[in-house]
Amino acid sequence: MLEKLVFQGLIGLSFSMYLWLLAAGLTLVFGVLGVLNFAHGSFFMLGAYAAFTFYEKLGINFFLSILLSLVSVGIIGVIFERLFLRKIYNLDLPYQLILTFGFILIFDDLVKMIWGGVAMIPPMPSFLEGNLSILGRPYPFYNLFIIIAGLAVAFLLWITLEKTWWGRMIRASASDREMAGAIGVNIPFLFTTVFVFSAMLAALGGALGTPVRVVAPGIGTAMIIQAFVITVIGGLGNLKGAFVGALIVGILTSFGILLFPVFELFIIFVVMTIVLLIKPEGLFGK
Amino acid sequence: MVKNISRRKFLKNALIGGAAIGSGLGSYQITYGQAKKAAGPIKIGGQGAVSGAHADYGWQMIAGSTLAIDEINAKGGVSGRKLEMKFMDEELKPATAVKNARYLVTDWGADVLFGVDSSGSAMALGPVLAELNRVHIFCHAATHRLTEELVAQRRIPQIFRISVPTYQDGILPALIMKDFPEIKRWAGIHEDYEYGYVAWNTFKETMKKVRPDVEFVSIAWAPFWTMDFSSHIAAVMAEKPDAIHTTKWAGEGVMLLRQALTMGVFDNIKAWWQCMGGSVDVLQGIAREVEADKFKGKLWASARYIHNYPVTPENRAFVEKFIKRWGKYPNYSAETSYSSIYVIKAAIEKAKSLETAKLVTAIEGMEIMTPAGKRYFRPEDHQAVYTVPGGRVIKSPDYPLPILGDLRVIPAKDYYRHPPFTPISATK
Repeated sequence: MLEKLVFQGLIGLSFSMYLWLLAAGLTLVFGVLGVLNFAHGSFFMLGAYAAFTFYEKLGINFFLSILLSLVSVGIIGVIFERLFLRKIYNLDLPYQLILTFGFILIFDDLVKMIWGGVAMIPPMPSFLEGNLSILGRPYPFYNLFIIIAGLAVAFLLWITLEKTWWGRMIRASASDREMAGAIGVNIPFLFTTVFVFSAMLAALGGALGTPVRVVAPGIGTAMIIQAFVITVIGGLGNLKGAFVGALIVGILTSFGILLFPVFELFIIFVVMTIVLLIKPEGLFGK
Repeated sequence: MVKNISRRKFLKNALIGGAAIGSGLGSYQITYGQAKKAAGPIKIGGQGAVSGAHADYGWQMIAGSTLAIDEINAKGGVSGRKLEMKFMDEELKPATAVKNARYLVTDWGADVLFGVDSSGSAMALGPVLAELNRVHIFCHAATHRLTEELVAQRRIPQIFRISVPTYQDGILPALIMKDFPEIKRWAGIHEDYEYGYVAWNTFKETMKKVRPDVEFVSIAWAPFWTMDFSSHIAAVMAEKPDAIHTTKWAGEGVMLLRQALTMGVFDNIKAWWQCMGGSVDVLQGIAREVEADKFKGKLWASARYIHNYPVTPENRAFVEKFIKRWGKYPNYSAETSYSSIYVIKAAIEKAKSLETAKLVTAIEGMEIMTPAGKRYFRPEDHQAVYTVPGGRVIKSPDYPLPILGDLRVIPAKDYYRHPPFTPISATK
């Protein structure tokens, strides 16, 4: 039994890292810009479409395709923030909801116009095929790759926020926007860069998923609910919270599927409810 | 509250109310007038999922029905009248499906209806059809309750289904896989809604009867649009099953199979039954892996029609015409919607009328040759009985995409449920 649990936990860990990539950007934008971006899942979807196009259609190297997909979605992020999001920073929450939710529909229809409605399947890069034996059972290289990618992103984010000038600006404006502006931080520019960075994180999740998933309209919305649950558990706007929340949700989901297949679905919602009752601001929220 | 309503306000509200009633009457009269119109085209209203992740299923319906309508119109129509179609998006939402049907009948003037992908939409639509009084041929929505509850028990005669009921995905694989004595331990990875419950429960029930030595060792339920199946696969593989039965369909089916490959599942099992894996979109999605023999001949599937069965002139002609017109192979929804139009044609010609009651009588007991083979509309529950085989997913030199080969044909009449219908356990 113990072996089963350990193996299931390791599978859950890869799912956690995947969720973390999505939740990180979501919570970062909320923490700094104060915007709850419902269209975050759309950047995830666009990242997958872009990576698919570069890798499968244009035959570009897998890692280069991912990089190009991040750049493409980053450009879309700049346009989105400058032309649309910027107009609503000072308006009430419902305006954010309407705008970002509206863009989910627009992006879904756009990809359908460009790529069609049929699910597309990119090939698996050969270096990710196969598996290694853990506890006598086959553990996929791909899942291992996702764990490494997730941890690498967590490490890079930590370095960036703690050790760089840009990171200090972000932390300053997250804790007091007006004061940061008063001492000379270029807030509008900072907001654009943070938003673009978060869009690229979502795109990375989408692009990294292509080897074992399908690329289709709606794949972003399928994942975004869990990302919201994670940010609520961890504390909205808190990156450490998003990381821990992703670990909780991913691993608990995985154990639930093994141990309680009949009511596995609501386990994470029970956790979320308990967190909301005991610490409404989230585990790491202030 | 009462004293706050001024006289003026009261009058205003009364006027609005009166206007609403008036316009309601007006639209009723218009509808009535359209229904009586004799000369113009025969109007066929359709709906399916044309947007969202499953948009291709709705597109297949449009493609199939358009092909049939164009063929019929080119030959002069039905009883000298042309066919005209309007197709709407049901968005897999019951409320939208009901709204569409009301619009199609009362505003647009549809004489007959067809389509619908979602079982939820179909169940919501059923009672409304009695009120709208139009024949509706369902060409995808598969819940057995549509025909067993709404037709056989609640007597809503307007409902007909031309495609297979959900339990085929439980009974057919059990009857086919019973012949593999070395497979004794079954596991399931299923849709976390009625389709998955019914398929898994009927699979277990049937298998227990024909193979008492078989065990059901593990089960995982995955909600609609699961993207990461590795936890589900790991959970069922922990019990070392000999074979896996799954209802995950369309893009999700493809994801599940690809992830199962990365987890080495096909090295450790003897068979995998993908309930709707014979659907063209799934076969296309796994074409590369089939080509490379990654499934090692262990992948089995069925569908609601497959383009390489039956080998008849009717089927060959349909597939050729479809490819010529649309540049791809017809999926089952394309066939069921194509055949729906021909059922409507046959019914109108037999009834010599567009009156719903007469059309119902014409379709009840109808036997009609379709691309999927001979279909028989049982009078007792209005379910079309026709045979779809199961088979092994193979690469054939005759086709650009994988097909089902090594076909096992079990006549549908031998295993379709009969009245009195006992409820199928539709829970986990």
